[in-house]
Amino acid sequence: MSEKVEITLTVNGQKRSALAEPRMLLADFLRHELGLRGTHIGCEHGVCGACTILLDGRTARSCLHFAIAVDGAVIDTVEGMASADNLHPIQEAFHQNHALQCGYCTSGFLLTTLEFLRRNPDPDEAEIRRALTNNLCRCTGYTNIVKAVAAAAAAMRAAG
Amino acid sequence: MTSTVPYIGQAMLRREDDYLLRGQGHFIDDLPTPMGTLHLGFVLSPHAHARIVAIDTSPALALDGVVTVLTGDDLAKHVKPIVAEIEFPGYHPHGRDVIARDKVRFVGEAVAVVVTRSPYLAQDAIELVEVEYDPLPAAAKLEGANAPDAPQVHDTIPNNTIFQGDFTTPDFEAAFSGATHVIRERFRSGRVGGVPLEPRGCLALPEHGDNLVFYSSTQVPHLARTALARFMDHPESRIRVIVPEVGGGFGTKAQIYPEEFTVAALALHFRQPVKWIQDRREELLTDIHARDHIYDMEIAFDDQGIVQALRGDITTNAGAYSTLPFGCTLETTGGARMVVGPYRITNYAYQARALATHTAPSGAYRGVAQPTCFMAIEGLMDRIARWLELDPAEVRLRNMVPTAELPWVNVVGVRYDTGSFVESLQRAMELIDYKGFRQSQPANRLVNGKYRGIGIASFTEVSGTGSPGWRARGLVRLPGFDSGLVTVEPTGMVTAYVSHAHGGQGHYTTFAQVVADALGTNFEDVTIIEGDTATTPYGTNTFASRSAVTGGGALIRAATKVQDKMRRIAAHILEAADEDIVIEAGRAHVAGVPQHGLSFMEIAETAYSMNNYTLPEGEEFGLEENDYYDPPLVTMANAAHIVQLSVDAEDGRVEIEDYAVVHDCGRLINPMIVDGQIHGGAAQGIGEALMEEFIYDDEGQLQNATLLDYLLPTAEDVPLFKVEHIQSPSIDTVGGFKGVGEGGLIGAVPAVLNAVADALAGLDININRKPLRPNLLSNLIREARRKAV
Amino acid sequence: MKPAPFAFCAPRDLAGVLDALAEHGEDGRILAGGQSLVPLMNLRLVRPEMLISINRCDDLDYLRLNDGHLVCGARVRQATAEESDLVQRECPLLAKALPYVGGQANRNRGTVCGSLAHGDPLAELAAVALALDGEMYIAAKGGGRSVPAANFFLDGLATAVGAGEMLEAVAFQRQGANERSAFLEMGNRKHGFAVAAVAVRLGMDGGHCDFARIAMLGASEAAQRIGEAEDILTASNVDETTIEAAVAAARAAVQPPSDLHADAEFRRHVLGALLGRALRQAMTGEAQ
Repeated sequence: MSEKVEITLTVNGQKRSALAEPRMLLADFLRHELGLRGTHIGCEHGVCGACTILLDGRTARSCLHFAIAVDGAVIDTVEGMASADNLHPIQEAFHQNHALQCGYCTSGFLLTTLEFLRRNPDPDEAEIRRALTNNLCRCTGYTNIVKAVAAAAAAMRAAG
Repeated sequence: MTSTVPYIGQAMLRREDDYLLRGQGHFIDDLPTPMGTLHLGFVLSPHAHARIVAIDTSPALALDGVVTVLTGDDLAKHVKPIVAEIEFPGYHPHGRDVIARDKVRFVGEAVAVVVTRSPYLAQDAIELVEVEYDPLPAAAKLEGANAPDAPQVHDTIPNNTIFQGDFTTPDFEAAFSGATHVIRERFRSGRVGGVPLEPRGCLALPEHGDNLVFYSSTQVPHLARTALARFMDHPESRIRVIVPEVGGGFGTKAQIYPEEFTVAALALHFRQPVKWIQDRREELLTDIHARDHIYDMEIAFDDQGIVQALRGDITTNAGAYSTLPFGCTLETTGGARMVVGPYRITNYAYQARALATHTAPSGAYRGVAQPTCFMAIEGLMDRIARWLELDPAEVRLRNMVPTAELPWVNVVGVRYDTGSFVESLQRAMELIDYKGFRQSQPANRLVNGKYRGIGIASFTEVSGTGSPGWRARGLVRLPGFDSGLVTVEPTGMVTAYVSHAHGGQGHYTTFAQVVADALGTNFEDVTIIEGDTATTPYGTNTFASRSAVTGGGALIRAATKVQDKMRRIAAHILEAADEDIVIEAGRAHVAGVPQHGLSFMEIAETAYSMNNYTLPEGEEFGLEENDYYDPPLVTMANAAHIVQLSVDAEDGRVEIEDYAVVHDCGRLINPMIVDGQIHGGAAQGIGEALMEEFIYDDEGQLQNATLLDYLLPTAEDVPLFKVEHIQSPSIDTVGGFKGVGEGGLIGAVPAVLNAVADALAGLDININRKPLRPNLLSNLIREARRKAV
Repeated sequence: MKPAPFAFCAPRDLAGVLDALAEHGEDGRILAGGQSLVPLMNLRLVRPEMLISINRCDDLDYLRLNDGHLVCGARVRQATAEESDLVQRECPLLAKALPYVGGQANRNRGTVCGSLAHGDPLAELAAVALALDGEMYIAAKGGGRSVPAANFFLDGLATAVGAGEMLEAVAFQRQGANERSAFLEMGNRKHGFAVAAVAVRLGMDGGHCDFARIAMLGASEAAQRIGEAEDILTASNVDETTIEAAVAAARAAVQPPSDLHADAEFRRHVLGALLGRALRQAMTGEAQ
């Protein structure tokens, strides 16, 4: 029943495989089997959003998926956002606007923002808050995160 | 004279950001785990109060991958009962077994621990341990916990009263009864928790001999090390505590928990790495709770609204056990001592008590009683205003200690060295256009189906507590000082070690600013190291808004000593007098002759005997100095929060429309980081005021131990905060800094409550409790409307 | 927490899914988006022995018009429905309710049928299914059946789907061009689980209301239609007096539960307030 099976995912553009029991959460698979620890676990009931990644191009709560159930999928995690030399514009905007403190919720916010700005490149404050309403942060009080998302949107629009 | 701009006061961007943004922060569950690591899982009591009759571990032991299952009796061989040693008249100390023996006292208390080969297996094994309980009646609620017939939490603590204290000024009764008006009110605060995004965890790695490296998601590495040594009877020199990245603490991680002792003890016992990561349900069930408080207040005042006397009867819920290291007096004494706030109240009396109940133990969560005592006093100020038909701001201004009278010692002996009580309130009023709002505000408050109101919180804020401050609250085991060790390396780079631990406040950045200025070098050349007991000096560690004051102070002192030595060496080499040497931007030169100078590297090489220069006569090798700083009693910051919000007349939902903060934490090190602390604290305060509450039923069952049911505020529940600063540098502390970590939360709770009360003032609704959920407000509104008809 | 161990299969088509369901009965659970199921599995409140994924079943992935109904197969993601022009045009009430269902990350994977089959009494889509006269197609090896939405939602986390069965598709009645609808929800914070919600659908002929569907969450132990309010609105011109009467009737008719988040009297009052707002919003076409 709990025999491990081989699971293959394309993660940040690279094919990665490892063995896991059917019940292994995608979050744990990424973190402990693939060594990608930038995705964090805050609740395991899908509420806090710290575990947010992109699954086949769209945000997903990696604590609410079993690795086996998404075998073959394309995954993007925070580790794929920056290049060796440069942060992604969204990351840079978070840095410039002091939009992180402890950093635990941050990867979830980054990926949520990435998806959001792809769909809505010029959002107003209310739209930003609505888009972020399912990611919890206990440190920042959200003010600077909202500013960072607006700044990222502006930077990405300017870059074309 | 220096031509460089100081780093202190600049909004330097954080060095922590790059690796955190890339997902490269190593939190406790990210640390490399050796093969053969044993994973623990705790079997938790489902009863609030019960005798443990029997534990059958055999079904769990039969599961493949379960190494063993241990009970409280097993752990007692390795860990003594943990005791918070509080020296306070009338305090009843009591021990706590790290795993319960004989009896459980709250839902979530551990009764056994499974030792397994993987975290998933540990969850399987937990379920298989069969525990037979004999349930007993529980004292689940604070009200009635000290009644003679209430179930006893501890046999040695009569009436569940762990501690009680009282205080009165001379001639109090005369002052009280001589006043023209008296208002009485009971303020009731619901229980909340810090709920950091990252739950707790620890990883214990035995090394050669009986050395232990202990990683823990903690705020208190040195205090944890000493506690581990004491209660495990293990040589402290052979324990090293290291703090990884910590995903938020807010005080919850400043306690030293039973699980930490279990993990450490079992690693030593099995001589194998042992790991435990808490899940969210456990976090909500067992991390310290706070703020389950009752404030029965009486305030006596005259026709001008000037307070003549204040009486308080304060009861706090300590939960089932006093926690380590603070015990349970923190909230009780904190509220009792701070309730007078920025006001000139000289006749004051209180009785305060901490009661045990069969619920999760309480402890220090950001603000520690100040959100509730200011809920009380600020609520009373508004009541005075309504009674006399004065503006609430005016009542406060009349009662505040004017800045010109500072330094001032308050009625319980706390010194306010500098501050801006009046100025901060006045500026906050301008920032939010308080007068404009009042002018346009209808008497019935109703605008388009919503009741709109504005509320103020003016408060003082305890920070930077030194040893006298801890002793005054019975905490003899809390050192009070912190330490800094500043080294200039042979290459001229600076390494500064400090007895603090970070959890998001940006210490690597702010402390570097302090050291760079104190030493006269470049920010980029300073590295801060903290959170490792093997490399950093001993101190009280990080909580209660202390790091800027005590860490900053210690680092300034240590850096100053280093700078003095560098000056002597430079003077010797440059053949000038000590007082003619200027040190700035990483160089020492003769005043007025900048080209006649030495780099930090050249001075350091001299000190390390690596070049042809010689040290002055009698000067020792090396360029490393340490120093300590123990601030006086406490360092008092202050702020004013003003919130403008609306309450929906039908569904009772609150929407915050505007929020202004004017904060005075003395000399600002990094305004950007200070703002961030205020935003974050205020958001937690909004959550606490409007939606957060742990709900226990009458049997002591926690009804909402998931984030589905314990609601945290999101980006849509919190406004854009407008924050300004006043800087009244402390004259009592080295550096002039005051703390700020807790201020946001302290102010938000009373300000939101007062704003709601103001919004509903037309309906004569009494707001004296929290959280103010839509259900509560809607019911109050409908009831008031029925009465009005 | 971590879930209890289970076996996993991912059949390629509906037939394969039904075979697996028949074999495992009560010990088998369907995994679609998992957004409702997996939290319960992680908390070990639910422990299927066999998790049967429908995520490889292309034959369950359809969203089309069929004989006056919008039919939605089991694998259709909530986000797909939300972004669909077909849904916007044919079932605007569904489009209005979907943004309230969890967050984007939940809707990206969660399915329309999955939310319905889970049976949470506070599921927004349950109210929509009732208001749009939904027809639920329950499949099983050996034969399926169709259950009207009115009989589908049972008390507690229960629906008409039994062991060995699955919800294969749901058919929503397409809304005519003359219909007015609105969906409103409130909870204990701005966005989160509902304390109370109302779905309103009015078939208007000029200023005259031909039919009304009022579905509520939080009115009882399961999503339900409020016939008393519908009766008052039907054959009226939905003026202020009628709206007030419908609100009063709804308040009198509902039997809301009391729980951790809200008490019965509050729910009763709020449901009435939401109904009034929803009716006004539907009639004017503007958010109030």
